[in-house]
Amino acid sequence: MKGVTAAVVVAVLVLWPSAALARDPFGDDGRPVSPEPERDPDPAPLIAPPPGIYYVTETYVADVVTSSGPVTTYSTTTVHESTGTYARALDTVGTGASSVFDGSAFNGRRALGDGRAVAGTYYENYVLGAGGFVPISVVFFQDDAEIARLLGATPAPPAQITPPSTSAATTRSFVPACCAAERPVASTPSRTPTPAMVIRPGLSLLPASAPLASLEVLRGRAVALYPRAFVEDREVPVRSWAVIAGDTGEALTTAGSGSVPFRTWWRRLAPPDAAYEVAFRIEVDTPETGRRWVDATIAVIVRSPALED
Amino acid sequence: MVLTLVIAPLLFVALAGVLQLGALRVAVARVRAAADLATLVAVNDQDDAELARSGSLRLSADAAEVAREYFARELELSSSLLDGGADAIAAAADVAAYPSAPAYDTRTGARYERPTVRIAAQVPVRTPVFGALVLRPVTTIEVLSVSSPR
Repeated sequence: MKGVTAAVVVAVLVLWPSAALARDPFGDDGRPVSPEPERDPDPAPLIAPPPGIYYVTETYVADVVTSSGPVTTYSTTTVHESTGTYARALDTVGTGASSVFDGSAFNGRRALGDGRAVAGTYYENYVLGAGGFVPISVVFFQDDAEIARLLGATPAPPAQITPPSTSAATTRSFVPACCAAERPVASTPSRTPTPAMVIRPGLSLLPASAPLASLEVLRGRAVALYPRAFVEDREVPVRSWAVIAGDTGEALTTAGSGSVPFRTWWRRLAPPDAAYEVAFRIEVDTPETGRRWVDATIAVIVRSPALED
Repeated sequence: MVLTLVIAPLLFVALAGVLQLGALRVAVARVRAAADLATLVAVNDQDDAELARSGSLRLSADAAEVAREYFARELELSSSLLDGGADAIAAAADVAAYPSAPAYDTRTGARYERPTVRIAAQVPVRTPVFGALVLRPVTTIEVLSVSSPR
């Protein structure tokens, strides 16, 4: 009888298992094994730009004026890179035509030798913020050409000059054979050589944003400063730059080519009512300016979120 | 023996009151820390487009929402002390963002010289011992936190 009872007890214990209520000492080690494969996080929702606004893949670098014989061409150089900005064409203007956006472009709108404004297109740049597309600047892409009437008895190449007009006007439309499909060309009297051009340096947070004289940054927040240079009202390419003075914070590098921005962040706050004055030496080397250096400074005010009393 | 029987309840009541008061001070500190952290995080959220345009710090457009969200998140960590949901308390809070300066706070009358985020909230906290002692079982904490980049 005892044997039967023992066998029954053993059978009940074996056939009636239950989970032990105890803490797993290794339960917190590592991640639990999931039978489902890991999935990548959902990508950020796509915010489609409004009609007319497109993602910029060709970034403005500088206005370029080149002379080939009597023909002077006004063009715009770009670099194939994306800075995360968007753009929209505002207005396309012809030679001498006025636009409501005249004066709004940070790089200005150059004039031909006879004083007429060059042809081109105004674009507005945007960044995608939390509240949508925010305009940051207007840039003018010049696209024009003119032919200078040579001084004295030196005639212009006959193949490139329109038949002379009986009009006393010194300016007339002209379309060279090489560029008929590209842009209209106007002939103008040649200009006398200009004195050394004044190069105006600048520093901006974006390749095409407005130059800044001072900048507020949060402590520890990385910033990129683009050294830039302007001649009269247009931008010229920067060949190289270097920091020559000032507290550069935790800069990755203190010198670079014109296409490389100065990237840094500041670990420390400046003394009260003071700012970090950072001086740059910018090298410009273009046919019209020659190889020259200009200095630019920017006052960087480092701030930190703080509680008010 | 009689004296002990008389004094013991009084001592017990005093001890319970002191413990409840200490717990309330801890709750106050945690609620204030939650509001402070929320405003600091919101101030740290800056408008990059405005910075590129003008070089000046300016709060992003969603600074108030960011502050409210982080206030709720921080309160959630002290949910056992609260007499209500953290989300509901944060939703009822008066959160104001002043993206540019100078600005005037119509609630406090303060003048802000920098872009500022302000949280003013009433946070109900459970005080069961006070309730047992014929006081209020829920104590409301008034919290005010103001932050700006300096």
